[in-house]
Amino acid sequence: MPSEEQLAAERIERLRALAKAATSAGETDRARAYVRRARRVAERNRLSLPQDFKRFTCDRCDAYLKPGVNARFRTRDGHVVVTCDCGGHARYPY
Amino acid sequence: MPLTPATLTRHELIGRPVRVVAASNPDLVGIAGEVVMETTRTLSVEGSTHDEPRVWQVPKGEATFEFTLTADGDTQVVTVEGEQLVARPARRTERTGDSKWR
Repeated sequence: MPSEEQLAAERIERLRALAKAATSAGETDRARAYVRRARRVAERNRLSLPQDFKRFTCDRCDAYLKPGVNARFRTRDGHVVVTCDCGGHARYPY
Repeated sequence: MPLTPATLTRHELIGRPVRVVAASNPDLVGIAGEVVMETTRTLSVEGSTHDEPRVWQVPKGEATFEFTLTADGDTQVVTVEGEQLVARPARRTERTGDSKWR
C-alpha cells in the first residue's frame, strides 16, 4: 500500500528531526530511543533509511550524531571517518 | 500522505502537543504538554507543574486525548479516544481504521 509507506517515511523523517532536537537539548537517551523507533518503522515497512539518517546515527549505539558534541568527523584520504563517543566508527567516501 | 486528523492515529505522536481531557483516573485529567515517548499502552507527556518540568506516563486505554495540529498557520484540535492508540508504536502505522475524530 503506497500511502502506508509514505506515512512510514514521514514518521522516519519526523523521528530523525526529533532525535536531532533531543540531542541538541542534551537528551541523548531520548534521541537514542527515537533513532531506534525510526529504524523499527523502516524495518517493518521495508523502507531503506534516508542517507542523512544513516550518516548521522551510530550503528553501534543508535545515538544521533552531532559533530563536536557526541561525535568526531574527520576527513581522511578519500573518506570521512565518524567516531561516536561510544567508540563506534563509520566511514564513507567523498 | 501528510498529517491530517484522519491519519493522526497512524502517524508519529512524539513531539505533538497534547492534553488529557478525560480519564478513568481523575488525577490524569488536565495533564498537558508534549508527547516525549510512547509504549504499547502508554504515552509519556512532558509538561510542567509549578514551573518544574515533569514527565507523566498516561495509559492510552483509559484516557481521551486532545492533540493540537498546526498546518499552514491554522490550528486544529483533534480529540482521540486513547483506545484507538493502543498498539505497538511501530505497528500503529499499519493498522487500518483511521481515527474517528470529532
